[in-house]
Amino acid sequence: MTTLIIIIGAVVYAALYMIYGRKMESEVVKADNAIQTPAHRLYDGVDYVPTRTSVLFGHHFASVAGAAPIVGPVVAMAWGWVPALAWVWFGNIFIGAVHDYLAVMASVRYDGKSIQFVASDLINKRTGYLFYILVFFLLVLVVAAFAAVLGGMFMSNPGIPAAAAYLLIAAVIQGFLMYKTKLPFAVSTAIGIAMLVLVIYLAGVFPLEASRNFWFLAMFFYIIIAAALPVQVLLQPRDYLNAWLLYVGLILGGLGAIFAFQGFTAPAFTSFSPIISAGQPTPFWPVIPLIIACGSLSGFHALVASGTTSKQISSEKAGLAIGYGVMLVEGFLSTIVVIAVAGWGVQVMTGAGQTITTAGWSTQYTPAMSGSFPNAAMFSETWAAMIGDTWLNFIPETFLRIVAGMWVSSFALTTLDSTNRLARYTLAEIFLPLKSKSESLYRFFSNRWVASVIPAAIGVYLGWSGSFGLLWPSFGAANQLIAAIALLTGTAWVSKRLKTKATYAFIPAMALWVTVTAAMVWYLAVVIPVTWAANPATGGTVGFITVAMLIMNIIFIIDFFKTKNQPLADTEIGAE
Amino acid sequence: MNPLDPLKRTFQFLKSFSSTMDTAHRNRAVGLTECEVRELENMFVLLLMGSFTGVPAPPSFISAELLPYLEHEIKVVNRRSESASDALSELSGCFDIT
Repeated sequence: MTTLIIIIGAVVYAALYMIYGRKMESEVVKADNAIQTPAHRLYDGVDYVPTRTSVLFGHHFASVAGAAPIVGPVVAMAWGWVPALAWVWFGNIFIGAVHDYLAVMASVRYDGKSIQFVASDLINKRTGYLFYILVFFLLVLVVAAFAAVLGGMFMSNPGIPAAAAYLLIAAVIQGFLMYKTKLPFAVSTAIGIAMLVLVIYLAGVFPLEASRNFWFLAMFFYIIIAAALPVQVLLQPRDYLNAWLLYVGLILGGLGAIFAFQGFTAPAFTSFSPIISAGQPTPFWPVIPLIIACGSLSGFHALVASGTTSKQISSEKAGLAIGYGVMLVEGFLSTIVVIAVAGWGVQVMTGAGQTITTAGWSTQYTPAMSGSFPNAAMFSETWAAMIGDTWLNFIPETFLRIVAGMWVSSFALTTLDSTNRLARYTLAEIFLPLKSKSESLYRFFSNRWVASVIPAAIGVYLGWSGSFGLLWPSFGAANQLIAAIALLTGTAWVSKRLKTKATYAFIPAMALWVTVTAAMVWYLAVVIPVTWAANPATGGTVGFITVAMLIMNIIFIIDFFKTKNQPLADTEIGAE
Repeated sequence: MNPLDPLKRTFQFLKSFSSTMDTAHRNRAVGLTECEVRELENMFVLLLMGSFTGVPAPPSFISAELLPYLEHEIKVVNRRSESASDALSELSGCFDIT
């Protein structure tokens, strides 16, 4: 079954890339290699540099693939493997990849400007500003959700925090080798990979155990310190080592899924409303996009696609592989996650002392993952068991578990300090209107340390006090809201500038907007009251953020329809 | 056809795949460092030509002596000034989140 699904997945993705993707390219975007991309037209050797498509593909993939496409599908397995897989594939092909492709191509036609700039130009200036507030909320919720993921992982397997800590040291050494000793890149890479292997070994031999409070406190200080360091000291060398980890994980996972020849022990479908979020029955529609975000579609990709990627695309036709193709590969990663949990979930959870049966899956699955056996551990354990059932079983499972744990944890840690770097900037932009009224207050909020502490403190507090089941959907909501706005912007671009078939973007944009709005209303009506009753501070904070996002969501759609038929000024940028 | 051809082709494919991935990783690693360098360059330009924006400048002869070396930087900074209030996406491209 595992082999069959992975092959069907590969065929479906390849076929729809060729059919649907190419149709988007030729009939909607009308990509034309005769039109010079900004990388050539505005070449400056610094920001605008044409890059080989295959290299940019790998670069963009490493930028968008993190821990979220792994964690989301694990949680969604509570509905059974068919709904989880169906949303990954459907959302990926018809919404997520369309979203990424339009974001990258709109940006290419706008001289590499960002998606907020395009939104401001095509919809409303207010849309561009609200983007910053929404992104700030997303960043706070990202810290909260990933801190909860990491906290759970660190408690479940002491080898994982050990690997994360040793990897930090290895990254600093790697950075030193690359920048201080001027060793050739190939030599320092070889040393880095050797250190990666050593880290995995040492983490197995010398695990680190500490209390939950200690790990959260450590994360709080880590976020602030790591975000203040120059990138070449820690972030960049660790990111480089992470990329290797990602490919090793993907290749081993792909081989495991193909050669394990295992039947699925998880049920195909459990119930429309199994227990998922904050112990409540969670309906598949509309909540699924809040649970599986990045593996299916992610608003954050629009920011990345219109940030650096669009300035490096060498030809318009390369946009399909980068925008559409990369999203499909990320969906493939989520497919491997679904296969691992569907094939080895029962075995692994039973082995860990949890009570789980195929028949009782809908009520037992999510509760089994709280406490000592968190969702990320579910992935690392099933991934290791999957590979252990193939000819790759000469690799000890202890180390495989650490590799998978390190994969998720190092991506989550990168997320934490990246988040803070971005949050500093978004806070400064959000408080900009305050500058003319109170210069000193503006300077206070935009101070780098204050702007670092605010998101870190709120996020880590929420992660510490709130449950993962509460925080993960709220992070998903913020992410999908950005996706809905980016897709609406894409729709406006197609209908107003290109004047081609806007239905390809409009239908998924509206479907996503309606679904996410309904999901947020459900979240406010069902999840927040339960959390409020148990913990007013946490429930109140998350509730406030959700209400604010819901209001912004309504403003966005009003602005979109109000400006839908308004003629555009013939600005130089974006004019065809 | 040589029976080893398919094997050779597979090996060639794997070789080119791994070399492309390696280049992609390096490209991304270099990109991240470039983000940092860009920030430092901006500060450097501000130090040299800060008088335009009210930052105390070094003695004018030092600025004048260094000015020819800054031709490229001035062009880049000029362009960046146009998108100074639109840096969120660029930052997101440098620092991955999810």
